[in-house]
Amino acid sequence: MSARVTVALRVNGRAYERVVESRRLLVDFLRHELGLHGTHVGCEQGVCGACTVLLDGEPVKSCLMLAPQAQGRSITTVEGLAGRGELHPVQQAFRDAHALQCGYCTPGFLLGAVVLADRGVTLEGAALREELAGNLCRCTGYQNIVEAVERYLRQAAAGRGDG
Amino acid sequence: MDKLPWLGASVKRKEDDRLLRGSGRFLDDVEETRTLHLAIGRCPYPHARIRRIDATRALELSGVEAVLIGEEVIARTEPITVLRPFPGSAPTIFHGMAHGVARYEGEPVVAVAAVDRYVAEDALELIDVDYEPLPHVVTVEDALRPGAPQLHDTVAGNVVVESTVRAGEPDKRLAGAAATVAGTFRINRVSGAPIETRGVIARWAEDTSTLELWASTQTPHLLRAQLAHCLRMDETDVRVIAPDVGGAFGLKIGVYPEDIIAALLAIDTRRPVKWIEDRTEFFRGAAHAREAVHALTLGADRDGALLALRDRYLIDLGAYHGPLGPPLLTSIMLAGPYRLHDAEIHRRVVLTNKVPMGAYRGYGQAESNYVREVLVDRLARRLGQDPADFRRRNLLRPDELPFKNVSGVTYDSGDYARGLELALSRAGYDSFRARQKAWREQGRHVGVGMSCYVEFTGYPSSAFLGRTGARFGAYESVTLRMDRAGRAAISTGVSTFGQGTETTFAQMAASLLGLDPADIAVHRGDSQGTPYSVGGFASRTMIAGAGAIEKAAGQIRDKMLRIAGHILDVDAAALEATAGMIRRRDDPSVQVSIQRVSESAFLGHPLPPGEDPGLEATAYFDPPSSAFGYGTVVVQVEVDARSGEFTLQRYILVHDCGTQVNPMIVEGQVQGAVAQGIAAALFEELVYDRETGQLVNGTMVDYFMPTAADLPAFELDHLETPSPETPFGIKGVGEGGTIAAAAAITNAVCDALAPFGVELDRLPITPESIWRALAAARAKG
Amino acid sequence: MKPAPLEYLAAATAEEALAALARFDGNARLLAGGQSLVPLLSMRLLRPTAVIDINGIPGLDGIAVGDGVVRVGALARYSALETSAVIRERVPLLAHAVPFVGDRQIRNRGTLGGALCHADPAGEMALCAVTLGARLRVVDGAGRRELDAEAFFQGPYTTALEPTEMLEAVEFPDGAGTEAVVVEHARRHGDFAAVGVAATGLPAPDGSWRWIRIGLSAVADRARYARRASEGLAGTRLGPAEVEAAAAHCLEEADPASDVRASAEYRRHLIPILVERALNELARRRR
Repeated sequence: MSARVTVALRVNGRAYERVVESRRLLVDFLRHELGLHGTHVGCEQGVCGACTVLLDGEPVKSCLMLAPQAQGRSITTVEGLAGRGELHPVQQAFRDAHALQCGYCTPGFLLGAVVLADRGVTLEGAALREELAGNLCRCTGYQNIVEAVERYLRQAAAGRGDG
Repeated sequence: MDKLPWLGASVKRKEDDRLLRGSGRFLDDVEETRTLHLAIGRCPYPHARIRRIDATRALELSGVEAVLIGEEVIARTEPITVLRPFPGSAPTIFHGMAHGVARYEGEPVVAVAAVDRYVAEDALELIDVDYEPLPHVVTVEDALRPGAPQLHDTVAGNVVVESTVRAGEPDKRLAGAAATVAGTFRINRVSGAPIETRGVIARWAEDTSTLELWASTQTPHLLRAQLAHCLRMDETDVRVIAPDVGGAFGLKIGVYPEDIIAALLAIDTRRPVKWIEDRTEFFRGAAHAREAVHALTLGADRDGALLALRDRYLIDLGAYHGPLGPPLLTSIMLAGPYRLHDAEIHRRVVLTNKVPMGAYRGYGQAESNYVREVLVDRLARRLGQDPADFRRRNLLRPDELPFKNVSGVTYDSGDYARGLELALSRAGYDSFRARQKAWREQGRHVGVGMSCYVEFTGYPSSAFLGRTGARFGAYESVTLRMDRAGRAAISTGVSTFGQGTETTFAQMAASLLGLDPADIAVHRGDSQGTPYSVGGFASRTMIAGAGAIEKAAGQIRDKMLRIAGHILDVDAAALEATAGMIRRRDDPSVQVSIQRVSESAFLGHPLPPGEDPGLEATAYFDPPSSAFGYGTVVVQVEVDARSGEFTLQRYILVHDCGTQVNPMIVEGQVQGAVAQGIAAALFEELVYDRETGQLVNGTMVDYFMPTAADLPAFELDHLETPSPETPFGIKGVGEGGTIAAAAAITNAVCDALAPFGVELDRLPITPESIWRALAAARAKG
Repeated sequence: MKPAPLEYLAAATAEEALAALARFDGNARLLAGGQSLVPLLSMRLLRPTAVIDINGIPGLDGIAVGDGVVRVGALARYSALETSAVIRERVPLLAHAVPFVGDRQIRNRGTLGGALCHADPAGEMALCAVTLGARLRVVDGAGRRELDAEAFFQGPYTTALEPTEMLEAVEFPDGAGTEAVVVEHARRHGDFAAVGVAATGLPAPDGSWRWIRIGLSAVADRARYARRASEGLAGTRLGPAEVEAAAAHCLEEADPASDVRASAEYRRHLIPILVERALNELARRRR
């Protein structure tokens, strides 16, 4: 029987406390313990990025963390973007640009883009593609994703008045 | 026909809201209480006798509920059928689990059901399996060598089927050719590799004595039929539900061993049994694709008119027929969009100790395009002709269509040369040679390459499929139902895996019923409550689905017009349905809402005399023929002749898929297919070690799927030549982008390195393979 | 792929971490960024009895200048190295190497120390350490010791670190005024290098280079400092003949293997090309 520890953390602004097996991957904890299915598993090797969440505002691959490591941390998943209300501007940008097809990789891209916008980063083209290289997509060929993120970052910068 | 308001509209997708919020429901998101989780022990050898399995310690582990071994599976199930085998294929017996002998690394040997996947994997480690490794073969050449291990008693010499397509007198034509070129080409083994792996949840429903299966599948009805057969159950006692599917690309078709394993354990334990494939299993279990070796010869006359084609090729099938069967379109489309009457295409499908091969976007067309278009360039060069001119001379003209090719299929419509011209003009081809010369003087090697293709989409009728041994039809079906609020619901067996069917089906129905796509709900992927469906593959769904929707919507529209005519006291023939209303064509002020009409149908009143209540229709549509898309890819590359490194500077694709229901979705499909085409051409390969027979790179770290940073932006353009045969002139489009990438890039690299006389004959094209080709050219010259 | 059963401890201090390592007698692993460790756990290639999470230990991630060295705590994350002005100005080779590591998400978690202890022969951090002649400070319950980077790396995924020891910090020579370049050949962006070359040097006012140091990754069982090639460049102006000679010496240092990324022959072919590319770029940078 594997050791268990208590984890207290915040996810999408809400406090949780759970007892969890030490070896439980963070992505499994989020999905099955907390019922937040928007974060997906694609490889469990840290390559595809479908498991990307924000850890204290930084994108990380949640298949590369053990759940106990989230103790005291604050996590944002895709469910934290729009809540029950209107789509977040990044989600709207993806919809408008047809930047998703099967949707499985999409949450990871959305969270990465939001962080760029928050930082006032306005990348485009090859530099943006480099930044997105931690997330694989198999359906879109990336072209519309790049367009969606470019547009979203420009809008976000303009919205702040520093575009 | 009345104008169709939503046909050709880039309507934003209905699927997007839930997917963007993270509320999509993929297989692993389906959670039921008391679920057991499967871990599967797989043969680590390419070929081995299974001498003994001892699961005693595993069964003692807390949290383990059941263990299943091959002996039981063999006793309780039928072997997996093949949905579309090559006609005349020798059978292979492929059960849901190996027993006695395993024939590929990854073949299931034992399964554990436990309270969670972690415990199930713990239990697997407690199971002792005694293997006796057997001699293996992992190349087609080794499989065909005298004395090679015979993988199946039913398959002599490891050749599953051998067949020849012949037209005209190819030998005579080639003998009389002014120029012939020949090449042997090796095409890489790849995987479609969707980001979501496979998965299944099986549940025995006690109340109805039926088996319910959630599966990440493209083909709920076909999976249901195959699974019922394997389990010796009536189809009516099996239900298959596809949730949202995270990509499929041909690999999630039909029944896999794991579906059978999960079903048996669900029946035994009376608990839901869930299996989520991990990526290590994926590379060793989900269908592999494309691997083939071609020896092709092309001949032309002095003026550059193609005379004949001769190909001998081998397909590396793997250890068994997979659930769908191998790619069938290589021979059929080998001649491409050219004027050719003489050909001989000889094919052998060969067994090896590798994962069974299945379909992957293109289904043989990327393979045939690659070998042919590379040799077309070599032939042009041999004759001293520009490769564009050579193609111009040989491309079929619109007035020559319909044209029956050497393999017996008839190309319907298209302007192949116009596609070529458009792509070349985008590439600035006219001025390219001068620029190329200037670059060469600077020591830079820049090249342009092209590839023309014609694409087989859809199936040419169920009768054709039946004649060629398929276990499914060419049709699609829908049930269309109005509700009392005047909205519609489509029920279709087709599942969604990114291709936008929810939206495009809604667009078609809305156009025909006079509604808005937002008023149309699309229920999909559940075999229960949907008419028999074939599924989403072969670029057939829109063609066949549109036909079914047209029929069903037509019936409903006609009834709505009759009811409205009764309410308005107007002849139904004078009415039309548009923008939520039924109104007189010549006096729109005479109108009644669709909502009111639907309500009448459900109240049973007011209705015309003799008219039954209700407003629904089920329709099946069997396409009368396939439809042929086409296109040209032009690529510009720069190559470092010292290191072999290269850059893809421009990637241009002009394609024609007939009438486009939703241009935005079409463009997305093409972009995605192009990316996979480039991925298979430049990056990916499943590598087996010849000595150990093992898969060397079955991890995401070592199987090189390209990132956004590895791919260029694509330049796409399109033409729209409707099919004369299909509903609304629609042709399939999902696969086309994969077809021409390898040939165009190969031709561009060889053009860039023309001063060195480089020839490339294998995939993927990598800096190392270019370096080797340069060295080989130097050694030869 | 799920990890085998294990215990998890979060160490609040280095002493706690070391005591835990000792208690588990070689059967525990330190968990830093986890970007290399966790997949190994998931694939069950590693089955430690316990993992000791050191991410909460204060003071292990600092970047400080003094006494002619830049001391970087083992827990410094790639993202911190990427944005640090001190690193950019005084250990420019690290600043140039970090963008080659993984991707954005991996750089947010992965650490310098974790990379060095993982000792992938293609790893960029090990390449920087041997190229710069870094000193690694290692600690256990009994005390501290320091090792040269070259002595630290002993083979593929093998270091001189004892099971009860922890890497505490890495000292790089203060490289203010130096130039640096990293060149890699990889099959994909962010992928492990098939061949990696690091070059750094101190330009002299007369147009020559006081010294140049070249390192190679992925072409031997560990990252290599190309000593002979480097020493031959001291005092030179990085002219074509000197660059060619250095490239040839680097080739002699290499002992590449064949794998799915590249064959040994192709790696041999690339080494002099990449060395020349790196040195020519270095020369360009000083202008």
